[in-house]
Amino acid sequence: MRQRYGVGALWLLAMLLGLWLVVTKVVVHSELGDLLPDGTTAPQRLLLTQLRSGQAGRMLLLAIEGGNPDELADTSNALRERLQATGHFVFIANGNQAVERRDWDILFRWRYLLSPQVGPESFSSQSLRHTLEQRLDDLRSPLAPVIKPTLREDPTGEALAILAAVSPAETPASHRGAWMSRDRSRALLVAETLATGFDADAQAQVLQHVRALFASLVGASPFRLHMSGPGVFAVEIKRTIEMEAWWLSMAAATLVLVFLYASYRSVTLVLLSAIPLTSGILAGMLAVQGWFGFIHGITLGFGIALLGVVDDYPIHLFSHLTARGSAGEVIRAIWPTMRLGVLTTTIGFASLLLSGFPALAQLGVFAVVGLLTGAAVTRWILPLFVPDGFVPRHAWAGYASTLQRVSRMKPLVPVAVLLASSALLWSHTPIWQTDLADLSPVPERQKQLDHELRQELSAPDVRDLLMIEGPAEEAVLQAGETVMPEIEQLRRDGVIAGYDLISRYLPSHRLQQQRQQSLPESHVLERNVETAVKGLPFTAGLFTPFIDAVDGARSQSPAGRTLFEGTALGMKMASLLFEQQGQWIGVVPLRAVEDRQRLKQIVTGWNVPQVGYVDLKEESNRLMTDYRDRTFSVVLWGGLAIAVILAIALKSFKLVGPVFLPILSALIVMVALVNASGESLSLFHVATFLLVIGLGLDYALFFNRSEGTAEERAHTVYGLFVCATTTILVFGVLATSTIPVLHAIGLTASVGSFCCLLFTGLMAKDKVHASG
Amino acid sequence: MKGLPDPGRRRMTYLNQLRQLCALGCLMITFGSFSPTLDASDADWTVERLMALVREQRKPSVGFEEAIYSSVLTEPLKARGVLRFTPPTTLEKLVTDPVQERYVIQGDRVTIENPRKGVTRTLSLGAYPALRSFVEAFRMSLMGEAAQLKQLYEVTLEGTPAKWTLLLRPLDLEAKSVLDYLLFTGSDGRISTIAVRSPDGDRTVTTLLWGARQ
Repeated sequence: MRQRYGVGALWLLAMLLGLWLVVTKVVVHSELGDLLPDGTTAPQRLLLTQLRSGQAGRMLLLAIEGGNPDELADTSNALRERLQATGHFVFIANGNQAVERRDWDILFRWRYLLSPQVGPESFSSQSLRHTLEQRLDDLRSPLAPVIKPTLREDPTGEALAILAAVSPAETPASHRGAWMSRDRSRALLVAETLATGFDADAQAQVLQHVRALFASLVGASPFRLHMSGPGVFAVEIKRTIEMEAWWLSMAAATLVLVFLYASYRSVTLVLLSAIPLTSGILAGMLAVQGWFGFIHGITLGFGIALLGVVDDYPIHLFSHLTARGSAGEVIRAIWPTMRLGVLTTTIGFASLLLSGFPALAQLGVFAVVGLLTGAAVTRWILPLFVPDGFVPRHAWAGYASTLQRVSRMKPLVPVAVLLASSALLWSHTPIWQTDLADLSPVPERQKQLDHELRQELSAPDVRDLLMIEGPAEEAVLQAGETVMPEIEQLRRDGVIAGYDLISRYLPSHRLQQQRQQSLPESHVLERNVETAVKGLPFTAGLFTPFIDAVDGARSQSPAGRTLFEGTALGMKMASLLFEQQGQWIGVVPLRAVEDRQRLKQIVTGWNVPQVGYVDLKEESNRLMTDYRDRTFSVVLWGGLAIAVILAIALKSFKLVGPVFLPILSALIVMVALVNASGESLSLFHVATFLLVIGLGLDYALFFNRSEGTAEERAHTVYGLFVCATTTILVFGVLATSTIPVLHAIGLTASVGSFCCLLFTGLMAKDKVHASG
Repeated sequence: MKGLPDPGRRRMTYLNQLRQLCALGCLMITFGSFSPTLDASDADWTVERLMALVREQRKPSVGFEEAIYSSVLTEPLKARGVLRFTPPTTLEKLVTDPVQERYVIQGDRVTIENPRKGVTRTLSLGAYPALRSFVEAFRMSLMGEAAQLKQLYEVTLEGTPAKWTLLLRPLDLEAKSVLDYLLFTGSDGRISTIAVRSPDGDRTVTTLLWGARQ
């Protein structure tokens, strides 16, 4: 008795300590980026870098509605100014944007090395004559005030040529200088946040700030602000995950408790069953925190539901309790069977660890640790808490005869399997899911808005890009220059609608030096200018600053990326050219690709090995498919391992058949049912297979356990029925989640555990009936 | 000429060149308030009356001669052509000599056509505060829109209906940096000269040829 209190107190102490650790140490994340794998190939790593921190991920699209075009333009301008002042953004553009002063200064200073117009013939007397005549036309035009300030230093307009090159080739429709949708009903802005798109907390702050600014700006007038982009999605997803993790756990816990009470009509039992469960959850959380340094909201929501499985262990114990034996004796009696169930289920969950997918690995750790803890607590601690002589009443007395009737329907199993297989064969729903987009938890309405805004703004849709690889920055820049005319040709041929390329902003050192060498010596240029101005009404000596500037450029060191550090152009360059694991990578986002197959062929046909076409969507789908296949093989190996362990534990291969066969049948029917519900299998469905196998084994082992009396047998069956129902309830709740990952797991597991219960029950060797 | 391969792109990029340059550090014009500086001795002769006269006597088109005086030039650049008005807001400037060029100001947009170079480009005044002050002053004066004029400029009217001068100075700082003043002279509803002076001292003088056959 004293020992009982001692252990109880120790357990309580451990729980309190665990709770304290959870409260103080556990960090809950909700960023999807934390759950992404690292990728195995260069394009995959690029994809994931782009997703995590790339420019595309930091793009925020804004639209203002609810006024006439004039009002919209004014509001757009005012909003841009205010947003600029917040310091949240690298840049904000609404059509009226300017090149930053610092960028302009650099471009102007290095104009003879950076200008795409500079070539061997640029400063001949003929070509100078031609440009100067053009400048006279400009002076006569309404644009004179624009031309005049730089006429002396830059009569050939190199700075303007650079600006032209770095300006986007396509701009949206505009009204009074502010970008508009084609029907002028929306003013459009594009911003790039400093925070990465996956940093949901920072993004939430930015969005909140933007909304507050907008509200104070428009006051009571009926303007509306819409925002879209990866950051908006991240915030939305985070909110959904947090909300669902909370309510799904609540709903699952409540349902299980209510069901347990309804099944046994005993508060004591409900309270007792919470002991292994809470221990398991605490241990699982701490283990994940210790291993990964944080626990993801998805892991938490799912993990808690998952541990509903842990509830099976106390139920097994209670269902075997009789007035004769103490709880300790009962648990010792059923422990071999339970231990085997724990072992096989653990193997099932451990396979999640091997999938290599961080999201699943977390779930694996959580589940394995939680499960083992729950089982251990049931074995060694729970019996101490069970009051002497406690025998739970079974709520439904008539189940035994029902069960007998059901077990006569054994032939139903092969029929069901046959039906399921043929249904799968003839199904219109593909068995495997290949489109990652189907796994995105972003609501359709949000996706639609995003699509519209991107179209209106000519913004890239972050799917197609060219990737230029090289051992050094210069190599990538040179390769970029090599393919630039080809890419331009693609645009002209309509294969793509637009592109962005580092070479538009930054020529290689080689090219800059070539331009430098083409610059004439000072006395030559002086003579050329003299010849060129003859007969034109320009004042004498007007272009001396120009001659001096060209002379200065001849000994200038080439402009590099570092010059632009911290400017808007610098940020742009950093997003198009960066180092990744010792390699330099140039990214060329492509817009509106019509025919990907053709594009791929053309790019391959260039024969520039450093340049390749990457379809990020295909790449990400391949990434998921790779992981799915890997998980699938893990499931197969795991199944095999479980079978071997069973054979060893049961000391017979013959027994493995009856235990495994119903589970395999259940899996087939489950897949068919999931498929019939219109869902294709993704990585997450597959990962759940092992869980289902684990659950099924647990049922099979207990169904096939040799029992003493018919009454005991009936209790066992009742217990199994309760176990399975709690599991189905918990995962059924999970299946209602709007987060596709959780939905996939919930649906698979609830359908799977139902099938397993049914089939293991139908196919159980009916020893009791045989003997009685 | 790498990077500017076809005329379409060139047109586009030229537009962008201008856009970028003009937008440099620029802010939108904010409308200032008007303080009347009319000569009190001639209470009857007001900007409103002048504008009413301009509207009354407006002809659909009028010839012009223009001379640009600049510190960068040894002699003035001259041009001739026709101005056309299409109420309410369209103003067309057709240069016929020495080169063919056509500018159409319609609402917020300026279209520039140069048939010799085969180039057409369209700008939005909102993006070009510098251009906007010229263009608006021109248009409003020629269209006779007193109220709008007073929103953007300090308006000084001197002389008599038979021989008047109208001086417009921009109120906005940004506009001041590109425009010193606009000076109109005329008699009754007919504007005879328009002088535009920029802060660096360069001037454009336009003489309207009312008698010329169009």
